[in-house]
Amino acid sequence: MAEIVVYRKRGFASLVMLLIGVALGVAGYLITMLNQYGKLADGWFVGPAIWAVVALVAWAVVRWRLPYADPLLLPSVVALNGIGMAMIYRLDQSSTPVMHSADLQLMWAIGSVATLCAVVFFLRDHRRLQRFTYLWFIAGMVLLLMPLMPGLGAESHGAQIWIRIGQFSFQPAEIAKIVLSIAFAAYLTEKRDVLALAGHRFVGIDLPRARDLGPILIMWGTSLIVLVFEKDLGTALLFFGLFVMMLYVATERPSWALLGFLMLIAMGVLGYAAFDHVRVRFESWLTPFDDYGRNLQVINAQFGLASGGLFGTGWGQGRPYLTPLSKNDFISAAIGEELGLVGLFAVILIFLVIVARVLRASLASREPFGKLLAAGLAFVFALQVFVIIGGVTRLLPLTGLTTPFVSQGGSSLISNYLLLGLMLTITHQVRHPQVQVPTDEFATFTTDRTEQMATVGAVGAVASARAATARDDANERLGARPDPDALDAPTEFVSEASGAGVGASQTNASADAPTELVGGQPSGRPASESPWQPDASDAKPSAWASLNDDEPGEETQALDPLDVPVKDEEADK
Amino acid sequence: MSELVVLALKFAFLALLWLFVLFACNVIRTDLFGRRVSAAAVASEVPPTQLKSRRARRADRKMPTTLRITRGAQTGLTMPLGDSLRIGRSNDCQLILDDDYVSTRHARIVRGDNGYLVEDLGSTNGTYLNDARVTTATPFGLSDTLRIGRTTMIVEK
Repeated sequence: MAEIVVYRKRGFASLVMLLIGVALGVAGYLITMLNQYGKLADGWFVGPAIWAVVALVAWAVVRWRLPYADPLLLPSVVALNGIGMAMIYRLDQSSTPVMHSADLQLMWAIGSVATLCAVVFFLRDHRRLQRFTYLWFIAGMVLLLMPLMPGLGAESHGAQIWIRIGQFSFQPAEIAKIVLSIAFAAYLTEKRDVLALAGHRFVGIDLPRARDLGPILIMWGTSLIVLVFEKDLGTALLFFGLFVMMLYVATERPSWALLGFLMLIAMGVLGYAAFDHVRVRFESWLTPFDDYGRNLQVINAQFGLASGGLFGTGWGQGRPYLTPLSKNDFISAAIGEELGLVGLFAVILIFLVIVARVLRASLASREPFGKLLAAGLAFVFALQVFVIIGGVTRLLPLTGLTTPFVSQGGSSLISNYLLLGLMLTITHQVRHPQVQVPTDEFATFTTDRTEQMATVGAVGAVASARAATARDDANERLGARPDPDALDAPTEFVSEASGAGVGASQTNASADAPTELVGGQPSGRPASESPWQPDASDAKPSAWASLNDDEPGEETQALDPLDVPVKDEEADK
Repeated sequence: MSELVVLALKFAFLALLWLFVLFACNVIRTDLFGRRVSAAAVASEVPPTQLKSRRARRADRKMPTTLRITRGAQTGLTMPLGDSLRIGRSNDCQLILDDDYVSTRHARIVRGDNGYLVEDLGSTNGTYLNDARVTTATPFGLSDTLRIGRTTMIVEK
């Protein structure tokens, strides 16, 4: 019987991780309380209890609907969110009068988990998102450019990336990053063959054809608009980076990545030369100490990180509240100050775990849309974390993005939980045992025809070589030529072996065949009964067996390797 | 709160944080290769109801019976689906399409446990179910459209 690889569900491991994740947030909250007031306040258990229940409900829903979803994603998010809420609580304590934004954040977290549950409950298969490519695209663009609409957009801290409706303010880029990931994945699934066509060759790199530059130019233009009018370098970087990376993943051509990188540099230079606000951002990045008044935020964050040192000051012991906006943009500086380098690195590693797990799902995915979508979501998430933490630590010019799951803010939390729901769905689809995969002989004829042709050719060669050995064996033993019918063997083998590549049980059949021939002939079995033909029920995996009621002889014709190119020519007129 | 307790709590928290990271690494390590099981065990382990997608269950209730050509040279032609139906240009297909963009043996439709499935037979121009290219055996149901070459078909009762 053939063996296939399955991933374990890891329900218990996931639960243990989840409990540690909850414990992290709760511990941060309680230690802050102890360090600030010397005792636990009345009703200290209410918040932690609510948070634990919310986390367990989320875990249970995910287990129920997506049993094979990645075991690490939800616990990592719960840990990050818990630490974030504890830090917001800690920053609340240093304002007079004491603020209650942590309570509000917990409410938002409950709402976000409800959103996650809804996604997990209703979506289940990410492939349903593949339709409506251009609608996704337009929706993403509209969201991205929404802050520029008069009356809707609101400027805050120099960047116009917010929209304000009544009481609520909201960063549409948070949703746009999900929508555009879906749009790019669907678009590139369709168009990657065209985009992979090479034009001129220049210093060893195949440049794409000029006429295929349209999409990347549109994205570049949009990013430039974002940079110029929304005055936000980070958002521009995020979306252009996302597009270039997905283009690279889809086409496997370094030239796209190189081109994108050059265009990014051009965008930066252009922005720096032409616009004051970009220059201000660059100056506060490179030489912040030239202007204490203007760069107070960045400078405070640097001093905070420095005073935190290796192990930090401890929860509630530092002074991260001195930095303006320490609950949103600068929460990583607050974490770095109170938990130290060691703590900040652990938090970044938790982000890395999420990214790595989703990228791994992308590698393991068997269909192009899931592959691209997982890669895109992982990359945009990673890029966002990189841009904001890089900005806070002055690796990059600072931008007003949020730290996913950690920063204060309801819209950010909800859209990131939406992202988590998508990630969980993809990992479930990738990891659950693929009984449904049709291990029929045609399964290898998928989208990329050139690749498939090579496979068939190679398999055919191996098969005929194998058949030749088998025939030689038979000759040796019998001292006579085998029945001419045995010459059918090569084509027959193609069908068996190509099925085996998908994980069916044919490997055994083809391995057994030679011995069967040798054993079969002397006993007077007529060779026309074709010992090469594996028993139909044996060759097909059980799930497929019931569907396949074709007579076995036909498979040979349909899969004759020589037949395929002929078909191509005749239909490609 | 003595200094010592504060210090102890600080390091205890950092230890818990890194414990989380190390546990995560361990899960990643043990999850690296999956587990090898026989194909039969997997098939029996997953009950058939779980295999049914939402689509397939809907198809159960309303089992389609015919395929009607809505665009192409043979517009108006209907074909009962039966147990298995092969579509292409060659004579050994049950539904022979008069369309230059259809391969000799282009696609086939089979009745599964949960409804009908359409499968591309390695055609040159592909088979499209509701404008999505069919790469594996894909379940379909009532009022889905199937495009093969330049011929469009609709699934009817």
